[in-house]
Amino acid sequence: MRWRNLLWIGISIAGLLLLPKFFPDPFFLRIVTEVFMWVGLAITWDVMAGYTGYLNFGHGAFFGIGAYVTAILMMRSGWPFATTLPVAGLVAGAAALIAGLPTLRLKGAYFAIATWALALAVQQMALVLDITGGPDGMRLPPFLHPQFFFYLMFALVAATFALLWFLLEKAPFGLKVKAIREDELGAMALGINPTTIKMQAFILSAIPAGVLGGIYAYWITFIDPASVLADIITDQAMVMAVFGGLGTLIGPLIGAVLIFAFKTYFWAYLADYQVLYLIILGGVIALTVVFLPNGLWGTITGYTGGRRILRKALRVRQPAERPQGSGEKET
Amino acid sequence: MTKPLLSVEDLTKTFGGLHAVEEVSFQIQQGEIIGLIGPNGAGKTTIFNLISGYHPPTRGRIAFNGRDITGRRPYELARLGIGRTFQVVKPFPGLTVLENVVIAAFARHPKRADAERHAWQILESTGLADRAGLSAASLTLAGRKRLEISKALALEPQLLLLDEVVAGLNPTEADQTIKLILQLRDSGISILVVEHIMRVIMNISDSILVLNFGRKIAMGKPAEVTRNPEVVKAYLGEEAACKP
Repeated sequence: MRWRNLLWIGISIAGLLLLPKFFPDPFFLRIVTEVFMWVGLAITWDVMAGYTGYLNFGHGAFFGIGAYVTAILMMRSGWPFATTLPVAGLVAGAAALIAGLPTLRLKGAYFAIATWALALAVQQMALVLDITGGPDGMRLPPFLHPQFFFYLMFALVAATFALLWFLLEKAPFGLKVKAIREDELGAMALGINPTTIKMQAFILSAIPAGVLGGIYAYWITFIDPASVLADIITDQAMVMAVFGGLGTLIGPLIGAVLIFAFKTYFWAYLADYQVLYLIILGGVIALTVVFLPNGLWGTITGYTGGRRILRKALRVRQPAERPQGSGEKET
Repeated sequence: MTKPLLSVEDLTKTFGGLHAVEEVSFQIQQGEIIGLIGPNGAGKTTIFNLISGYHPPTRGRIAFNGRDITGRRPYELARLGIGRTFQVVKPFPGLTVLENVVIAAFARHPKRADAERHAWQILESTGLADRAGLSAASLTLAGRKRLEISKALALEPQLLLLDEVVAGLNPTEADQTIKLILQLRDSGISILVVEHIMRVIMNISDSILVLNFGRKIAMGKPAEVTRNPEVVKAYLGEEAACKP
């Protein structure tokens, strides 16, 4: 079974690596590159939502911060592109640290609201600052090499996936994070410092998102607050993760591929009805929560964590301490 | 007398105007079982929360192994060797029984393989090994209470705080749990037990601490405590206490 899994992973990686050789069409490569990017955003969003139990409505801000860091370092300081990427990741990580200090004390919907507001604040900042070019955005030197971005995006997302899989599914860190998702007070009694673990998870989800933003900026060559700091980035990553299945890494991956494929198809044939896409996206999330609360992957594998995670992560009040089971009565 | 493992001095906790615990002092020696009893609302669970760090005390001092631990956070105390269970059991329902215990074992065994080995040993000793792979949510109440004890034990504690781990179990399950508690005591762990079932607490405790309205009204051997008029008054009312 293990060997078969490894074989499948090997075949998929080889297939993806050879893809540009057989399908060199730039439009096609561009779509696959963007799929990689969304897989990266969806799985890093799930680190906080599915594994730690905190719905981060400001995940897109890390992406936008990374994009601006790369743009500013390249255009204002003349750094070469490659050296800006680690800085983009680090700045996004630092932003998570600063944002996490106040917000990670909040629970349930309060955390969601606070992160959403902070992301809006970041967008406003990019609009008013000079260094970001304000509403005019920034233009980067064009580097028209679809294969380069294809391989770069693939390498980063594959590395992120492997790192998250190791940390969350194999290493002690994963169980500690899940303990916090399940019961923060109970985790404390077992020697787990929730603040530290939550902060580590938040930073872990922010750094890859920042690097993705950096790559995106150089790839698309133009960024402005309305594109890289838009709400839709978080929203779309969220729909992908929830639709695919929370609390797993495969789920968001599947969700990202399917939803992005749909989006591309929609864009290509019904470009006049862009608003309709948002309505459909909203419909998808509503229908998923009601009818597929465990997501596609959860439904296929029978993993029922997704539903519980959603319900818990959105709760405003912690449940009152009530006896469970029948025989709990005091004698 | 040897140096006490836990020493509590003038412990006071107020919530607003309510004195949940007032100037309670006691000590626990190594390998001793202390029963903590009192009517509902007497402050038993508050004492647990104070010793395990969930509430900072308003006044007073708590020392563990001769070290002042007043105001330390729960996770620090867990690592120092104070394990606790919760009256309303707190399993991690989305994880397996084994994973639940492994998480606690990380406190002493940072490597996953070591922690798993240790968790298996604990599950063998608490009789949950055959359910290790099941989801914690699927356990019965008895199983969940046993899991609570297993998790606290995986910390390799010197002091164990057990909050109503027998209440709600059927007689067979209760006997098994009592046997387990006595085994733990024999292995040198000190235990503070809250329990409403008098038969249990009188039988297993080396001495008993009685609380009423947050105050310590008696402490001593089970037989002495049951004859103490203050205690009888607290449980049965003034009239019963007056009768010989």
